[in-house]
Amino acid sequence: MDYTLVEVFSLPFMARALATVVVLALAAGVVGLGISFRELEFVSDGLVHAVFPGLVIGAAVGGSAGLLPGAVGAALIAAVLFTVLGRRTNGGGNDVAIAVVLTGLFSLGVVLVSQQHSYVSQLQALLFGHLLTVTPEQFWQIVVVAVLAVGIMLLTLRAQLFRAFDPVGFAAAGFRPLATDLALAAATALLTVAGVQALGVLMVVALLTVPMAVARLLTRRFALLIPIAVLVPLAAGSLGLWWSFAWSVDTGGTVSAGAVVVLLLVAAYGIAVLWRLAGRALARLGGGADAGAARSGAATGGGAR
Amino acid sequence: MPSPDGDARSDGAICVDPSSAHESPVADGAGEAAVRLRNAAFGYASRARVARLNLEIEPGSAVALIGPNGSGKSTLLRGILGLAERVEGEVEVLGTSPARARRRTGTLPQADTRETELPVTVRQVVRMGLYRELGALRPLGRTGRDAVDAAIERVGLAAFAQRRFGELSGGQQQRAILARALVANPQLLLLDEPFNGLDRENRDTLLTLVAELREEGRTVIVSTHDLEIAQRACTHALLLSAGHHPEEPGHPAAYGPLDSALTLEAVEHAFQDATVELDHHTVTTTRETE
Repeated sequence: MDYTLVEVFSLPFMARALATVVVLALAAGVVGLGISFRELEFVSDGLVHAVFPGLVIGAAVGGSAGLLPGAVGAALIAAVLFTVLGRRTNGGGNDVAIAVVLTGLFSLGVVLVSQQHSYVSQLQALLFGHLLTVTPEQFWQIVVVAVLAVGIMLLTLRAQLFRAFDPVGFAAAGFRPLATDLALAAATALLTVAGVQALGVLMVVALLTVPMAVARLLTRRFALLIPIAVLVPLAAGSLGLWWSFAWSVDTGGTVSAGAVVVLLLVAAYGIAVLWRLAGRALARLGGGADAGAARSGAATGGGAR
Repeated sequence: MPSPDGDARSDGAICVDPSSAHESPVADGAGEAAVRLRNAAFGYASRARVARLNLEIEPGSAVALIGPNGSGKSTLLRGILGLAERVEGEVEVLGTSPARARRRTGTLPQADTRETELPVTVRQVVRMGLYRELGALRPLGRTGRDAVDAAIERVGLAAFAQRRFGELSGGQQQRAILARALVANPQLLLLDEPFNGLDRENRDTLLTLVAELREEGRTVIVSTHDLEIAQRACTHALLLSAGHHPEEPGHPAAYGPLDSALTLEAVEHAFQDATVELDHHTVTTTRETE
């Protein structure tokens, strides 16, 4: 690879792609906290697939300008639907219902998009995204939607944390669980919409779930979760863009930047898993006895008697 | 039967029934009741799980809510919080509706409701008790931080404030949740089976805390299977009996000051087909037949 980071990102379209990655990384770090703490990864996948027919309908009605409204509409409807389904099963999520809705809406999207003239290219763009060809207008749309998602999360962060930790205590304290759930679902839906144009329907779920999953594997300190969950997609995004650009130029082909970014995110997750396993093995081998004694002391010692 | 402090208390009362107010030791015009129920029934989906509740709990009382599984203890606590449906009757908590009273009510839910895998510290858990008051964005401030530290100190977890909640023992976790309930300085405390699974030391600590809270003038309602807890920490007892068949709601079997409500007869009536200990006697009760 003969291209430095500075060279690559001084190109306007690459700078815009990097800026998109930065915006999505920041939003994913914040919204991902709610998704991870509430174990809503599968629901997020359902949301992503629900966005697909919205994108198709939006494109059919308003061309590229219709993509965002279509996606936002579909995502918010799905968010409400999944939240209500989840509550009817005591908040545990109704996996069967979500699976049915997920596949049904995805199939609907495929059927709708197959009616279009440029079926294959449109389908490809919707499924795999177009990180390198994000237009200035689309970039600002992504910024607005991401800011909305982050805003909703920050305004409800305390409630989300309490709700995730102790749902019974949360309701007893006078909070409104449905409003909190809807806020989280809306934030997730908006982040999905923000990410889907760049990464595509098939890969945006990685943005929703992997950064915080990596953060939770790397640290047990709450204060570090969001910073790590922002840095991980930032690093994966920058490297992915750089490498996909260089490989595309070197090979004369087109390497999907979104796919490389997602692969790097998944690689980060793999490394984090290994890190956690290595830490546990070391604790067992080296300081196992000491750590065990310390844990035992912590469990029984101190505090009022 | 001895009271928790070895003498008959007169700082609070359950007035069993409006028609029998003379049974209340403070029937001579004490302030507004902490909890007032008039022919109340609570349940879900319009079906009562606990019914025929007529009582007044005076401020400063510590009430043991005793009964077998299915008698509606947790439903009653949820009803007082406004979280269970009021199927019939009237409910007043701290002089207002249950929902409005929640801001002045602290709760310790059953231990199995917490997500112990989340990386939150004891201090963060206790801060949650102030979230309602602070709203979305208002910073905790020095007053809030001091209140959090004081609550943690009070339950004896100062050395564990920065420890992850999930790393604590069951008893320590209960104490942390109690600190969360206390941090907003509630007038009414509802403790749902707080002693389940606790070792003797943690149990004693909690018992002492309940007694202290009562002496400060707070009203405490604690649901429990354990009669010893009632005897050691409470001034009053409300015994609930399960219905004779699943469709029949639980209902009061006895209520009043501890020495008049917690009798062998009442226990026998409330606990059917169970072996319980009371005043160093082991009592095996049998199912009533109609």
